[in-house]
Amino acid sequence: MARETWYDIARDVDWELSYVDYEAVFPEWMCGQGKVPREAWAKWDEPYKVTYPEYVATQREKETGAYSVKAALRKSRIFDQLDEGWKSVVKEHFGAVALVEDLAVYAELRMARFGLSPAWRNMATFGALDETRHAQISLYFPHELVGKDPQYDWAHKAYQTNQWGIIAARAAFDGMMINPNVVDVAVQLPFTLETGFTNVQFVALAADALESGDVSFANMISSIQTDEARHSQQGGPTLEILVEHDPRRAQWIIDKTFWVSARLFSILTGPGMDYYTPLPMRQQSYKEFIQEWVAGQFLDQLRAYGLKEPWYWDEFMAGLDTWHHALHLGVWYWRPTVWWKPQGGVSPQEREWLREKYPQWEEQFGPIWDVIIGNINAGRIDLTLPQTLPWLCNLCHLPIGTAGAPRNEKFPVRSYPLDYNGYTYYFCSRPCRQIWWEDRDTLYDPTVIERLLGGEVQPPTVEGVLNWMGLTPEVRGDDAYGYRWARPYAAHQRAGEESGTPDGGTETGNPAAQTPAQAPEPAGPAGQGRPVPVNAMFENDFVAQLVVVLDTDTVDEAARKVAAHVVARRVPPRDAGFIVRHDGRVLPGDSTVAESGISALDVVNVGWAE
Amino acid sequence: MSRPVGPVLRMSDDVDAIVAAIMDDNPGQEITVVDRGAYTRVSGDGDLRVTRTSIERHLGRAFEMRQLEGLMPSFAGRIDMTSEEVRWQLKGPA
Repeated sequence: MARETWYDIARDVDWELSYVDYEAVFPEWMCGQGKVPREAWAKWDEPYKVTYPEYVATQREKETGAYSVKAALRKSRIFDQLDEGWKSVVKEHFGAVALVEDLAVYAELRMARFGLSPAWRNMATFGALDETRHAQISLYFPHELVGKDPQYDWAHKAYQTNQWGIIAARAAFDGMMINPNVVDVAVQLPFTLETGFTNVQFVALAADALESGDVSFANMISSIQTDEARHSQQGGPTLEILVEHDPRRAQWIIDKTFWVSARLFSILTGPGMDYYTPLPMRQQSYKEFIQEWVAGQFLDQLRAYGLKEPWYWDEFMAGLDTWHHALHLGVWYWRPTVWWKPQGGVSPQEREWLREKYPQWEEQFGPIWDVIIGNINAGRIDLTLPQTLPWLCNLCHLPIGTAGAPRNEKFPVRSYPLDYNGYTYYFCSRPCRQIWWEDRDTLYDPTVIERLLGGEVQPPTVEGVLNWMGLTPEVRGDDAYGYRWARPYAAHQRAGEESGTPDGGTETGNPAAQTPAQAPEPAGPAGQGRPVPVNAMFENDFVAQLVVVLDTDTVDEAARKVAAHVVARRVPPRDAGFIVRHDGRVLPGDSTVAESGISALDVVNVGWAE
Repeated sequence: MSRPVGPVLRMSDDVDAIVAAIMDDNPGQEITVVDRGAYTRVSGDGDLRVTRTSIERHLGRAFEMRQLEGLMPSFAGRIDMTSEEVRWQLKGPA
C-alpha cells in the first residue's frame, strides 16, 4: 500500500485527555503555545514524510555507506598524507560538534514529548534517533586517531571543559536547544540553525574536505546532513503556524538565533575555510559559501514565510569581510588556548588570495600580521604569544573587537557597554547587546573574564587559565607548520627592516621588551596599590584585552602596561608617548589611576600621543 | 533566476542519473547545475520536480523515493514528497 494512503491517519493518532488536564501534560513553560490557539496545531503538517520502515532502511544504507568508506581507507596512508592545516579543520569540527549532537538528542526528545501535534512528535522522534547517530559517528571516527595525535581526544573532551570557545558554544546551543520552550526550539534549531548554518559546516565544508583528500570526513559530514535535511523540516510547519498567530515572536526568535549562529560559525567555519584549508584546495571563500548557503538559500526561504531579513542584516553582511579574519587572528595569537594547530595562512601567496577575496583585508589586518611576521623572523616567538586574555562579549562569549576591524569606521573595534543592576556588561556589537537585554533570563552565562576576576580560576595566570580550561601541555595549539609560512618575508625584511620588528622600539614605544609578563594578578603587596582590572583597547589593535593596572599607577604607567600587550606584538612601535581616554575624556598622564576615576572593569582606550 | 529551488546532491554514482531525471521531468525550464565536487546544486526557478519513474529510467534499476534522502544533504525551497514524486517550490513574496 502506498504510504500516502495511510500515513496521515497513522501519524495523527492522538489522545483525548480525560483523566488529567491538558495543561498538566503540555505545560506552557515547556510547550510555549503563547498566542497560538490550541486547535491551530492540528494544521501542523510536515512536508518531508517518512515512515518507520522507510527510516530504518534508509538509515541503514547511510550508515553502511559512511562506515564502509572509513573501513576501506583505514589501511591506506591517506590520513598521514593530509595537510596539517586541514587536520586542524577536522579537530576543531569534532571538538566543537560531536557532543553538541548529543545535546541535540535532548532538544529533539523535548519536541518529541512536548510538541503540540502528534505529527510533530512523530518527526521529532526520528530527529532524536538521527542526532544519536550523529553523536556516535562524530565520536567514533576521530577515536582511532587519538593514538596518532592526542588533540583528537578533544572530540570527546572539549565539551566537558571550560575552554573559552566551548563556553561560547555551550551558551549558544543551550540557548537554542535546552533553555527555551519547544516552539522556540523548533524555530531556532531545525529552522534557523539546521537549514541555515549547519549546511555551511556539513555540506560546503565537505567540498573543501574532498579537495583536501579527506574522503572519509567529506563522506561522513554530508551523510549527517542528509538526516538534517529531513528533520529540519520540523521548523517550517511550526514557523508557519507561529507566523499566522504571532509574527512578531517568530521574527524575533529567528533574528536572535541567526545572529548568535553567525557569530559562532564565523569562528567554527571561517578560519578553517580561509586559512587552514591548503590554498589550492579551497573551493570558495567563507564569504562566498555563506553568500551561497545563508544569504541566498536561507533568506529566500525566510521571505517565503512572509518574514523579513533581520534588522541587523547590513551589519551581518559587512561582517562577512571582517569577523572571521579577526577571530582567526585571535585564535592564532592565543593558540595555546585551542586544541588544534591553527595554520597562520598568511604566506605571500595566501595573502594575495585574501586580498583578492577581501579587498579591505590588507588595510585592516595586514599591518598586524606584518608585526607578527617580523617577530617570527626575528626569532621572537615570545612576542607572538599572549600574556593576558581578550575581553569577552557577555552574549556570544567571543573576543570584543572581533565583530569589527581596525581602521573600519562603520564597525570599529570597541566595546558596547550596558549598565544593569549596578554592573556593566560588555558586548562585541549592538545586536549582541540588544539580544542579551531582551532575553537575558535564558541567555546569561558568565564569561571566562568574569570567572577569572571572580576568583574561579586559580592561580590567575596564563598557565592557570590554560589548566582551568583543561588544556594539558600536549594538546595546546601551536602553529600548524612551525611558522614556515612567514619565512618568505624574511629576505624582504632584512633588506628594508620593516616596522614591527621588536628591536625597533623606543623607550616609550617598545615597552614589551622591558615589561615583565603580566598575567592578571589579584593583589599586589600591601602599600603598593590595589589592582584595577580594566577592559583595555589600544589604537589599531583588533581586540580588547584584560589588563591589570594599580590604582597608584600614573596614567602613563597604566598606558605602558596596556601597550606592553600590544605594541611590538601586533602594532608597530613608534617614537611617541601615549594618550589615555576614559569615559569620554583625555586623562592627564601624571595623575594616578585612582585620581583619574578609573575603576575596575572600566573601558580604557590607549593611543599614540601625536 | 529569482527563486532558485531544488536539491543539493552529495557525491555518489547516482548524481548524473538524478540530474538527467530532473531535466526530463521539467521540460522547458531553465535548470542550472553547479558541481563543487562533494556536492552538486541543481536549481530551477520557483518550481522543480523529479519522479521515481524518471530516476529509474536513468539509473536502469529500481529506485524507492525514500532513497533520495541518502543522496540529498540539503535543498532550496519547500519540499513535498510522495512515493512517486518530489517537488521543491518557493511561493510567497519575493
